Amino acid sequence: MINLAAKDIKHSLSKFIITAAGVGMLLGIVLIMLGVYRGMISDGTSLINDIGADIWVVQEDTLGPFAESSRLHEDFKNTLRSLDGIDLSSAMTFQNLQLPHANGKMTRVFAVGYDPFGKMIPLNPKRIVEGRGLKHDHYEIVVSKKTGFALGERIPLGRDMYTVVGITEKTVSSGGDLLVYLSLKDAQKLQFLYSNARIRNDRARGIKGMDSHMINAVVATVRDGHTPDEVAAQIRRWKHKGVFTNEAQKEILTGNLIKMASKQIGMFTVILLIVSIVIIAMIIYNMTIEKIKEIAVMKLIGIPNKFIIKMIVQETLLLGVLAFVAGVGFAHLIYTKFPKNVVLLSEDAMRLFVVILVASLLASLFGAKKAIDADPTSAIGG
Amino acid sequence: MDTQQGIRVENLMKHFGEEETRVDVIDGASFTVNKGELVALVAPSGAGKTTLLMMIGCVTEPNGGKIWLGDEKVYDDGWLIKDTRSIRRKKIGFIFQAPYLIPFLNVIENITLLPQANGVPEKEANAKAMELLTYLDIADKAKMSGSQLSGGQNQRVAIARALANNPQIILADEPTAALDAERSVSVVQMLKKIAQEQGVAVIMVTHDETVLPYCDKIMEIVNKKVVMKDSLEDVKII
Ligand SMILES: Nc1ncnc2c1ncn2[C@@H]1O[C@H](COP(=O)(O)OP(=O)(O)O)[C@@H](O)[C@H]1O
Ligand SMILES: [Mg+2]
Repeated sequence: MINLAAKDIKHSLSKFIITAAGVGMLLGIVLIMLGVYRGMISDGTSLINDIGADIWVVQEDTLGPFAESSRLHEDFKNTLRSLDGIDLSSAMTFQNLQLPHANGKMTRVFAVGYDPFGKMIPLNPKRIVEGRGLKHDHYEIVVSKKTGFALGERIPLGRDMYTVVGITEKTVSSGGDLLVYLSLKDAQKLQFLYSNARIRNDRARGIKGMDSHMINAVVATVRDGHTPDEVAAQIRRWKHKGVFTNEAQKEILTGNLIKMASKQIGMFTVILLIVSIVIIAMIIYNMTIEKIKEIAVMKLIGIPNKFIIKMIVQETLLLGVLAFVAGVGFAHLIYTKFPKNVVLLSEDAMRLFVVILVASLLASLFGAKKAIDADPTSAIGG
Repeated sequence: MDTQQGIRVENLMKHFGEEETRVDVIDGASFTVNKGELVALVAPSGAGKTTLLMMIGCVTEPNGGKIWLGDEKVYDDGWLIKDTRSIRRKKIGFIFQAPYLIPFLNVIENITLLPQANGVPEKEANAKAMELLTYLDIADKAKMSGSQLSGGQNQRVAIARALANNPQIILADEPTAALDAERSVSVVQMLKKIAQEQGVAVIMVTHDETVLPYCDKIMEIVNKKVVMKDSLEDVKII
């Protein structure tokens, strides 16, 4: 039997391809949207994954440094070590900073402060693309490549000059800010010490200087034979601190910070998807209407419905598949051009493929119904 | 049983609309067309020629009466076959005022579509189509699309399409309306030849009196009934 779909598509090939490419771009944007969402999740949890802690100890009654201000004394890391279940522990700071460029422009970053000589290093060496990690207690900084700073460049922060000793890639905070790494001592100074002028002012007014031995969280790993939950419960009971397992900390991040954004992106994705499906349905409807006279002639001379429906379904499926392929191509072509991290997952693409296939089938039913309802005598009318 | 019977219609009725909007078009038509006969159907515009043809062709459902196609009774106050379309593709060849070719199929594909839908293998359908095209003197156009052919050539392709399923009946609705006088006569001669050679019963609607001499009989629709005439006399073409 002659393949009517192939003949019809060949007859209006350029139109068909342009249509598929157009729908494909829409599907490409859907994939990018999903990729932005995946990127947020991956960004949001990459720092926590790099730190690799089992337990997070934070200020009592707070959700920790990623949700609100959390302060505790640096000494607590030693107190913690006396516990049976704790293996390693380390104090860390987390804060937003403005890094001044030579040209006066500022870049907002999220700074992680850690002890370069400690056992738990939040800077994953795999992410270093130039230079090295921190080696000294003072005046070194490791920056994300996207901050625009060059290796060896000097950055004034607080009362000191810092030198860029390392450059990393794909290091972003859950809020989307680029990460920089400082030594714990430097970070404490920047977070808890005010400027000379402010200190003089405070002294004159009788306010005592701030204790700079504060930190934002203590991270720890648990020994074999202990579970994070059990150790966390112990700390909570005796030490009056907020304690989270790594999973709970991730949950706070994804729950508090990412959920809202993902809802927004989810809404966009759903709307775009609905628009794409409606457009596919409209295209199929139009393609059927354009051929309605030929369909009526075929019905009149006696061609069975199944041949006509097969033509419509095959054309729709081909359109859906072509549009999907174009969409994947388009997404891969443009995703690196987005300022935020876009992560394209093949499982998302497969899901979209299934949705498009189902939508195309439904759309073709729409067209098939139109064809079945067509009056054969309308072929010879007029 | 009359083995010569090609088409038989008895007391056929057709109206459109109901009550105030009701229009009776055919009201008690009875006639027989024998196999091998070419019968002209003449009547003024709007008299119901196309409607009558579409009822015989199992496209439009009558409101009463009986229809036989060959020996098979297909309508008796209701269709006797569920799938009227299968009757069309197996027994009937349709020719219209315009060719109505499928634009995305080339000439030979237009002709072989119906036989292939009937299950004829592609090779066999192609061979038969080439035979028809040769017979109609357009064999060299087989791979072309309809848009590359003249009006007359297109109409010949449409005739080939109507013949491709070896129909027992050909229903032609003003097949020569778009053709010049010379072409019209040659198309009618061709239909006559097919009727005679293959024993096909042909009804041809026409407004063209120059083609009437080639027809075996002439049917007129008078007062919503069909009047069969054996000679050209007292046939008035409007
Ligand atoms: N589907 C229809 N609905 C309503 N009226 C129709 C329909 N088809 C035909 N008619 C009417 O039936 C009459 C006969 O039409 P038709 O068979 O096309 O005439 P002819 O072919 O002789 O010119 C006309 O009055 C026409 O308006
Ligand atoms: Mg008519």
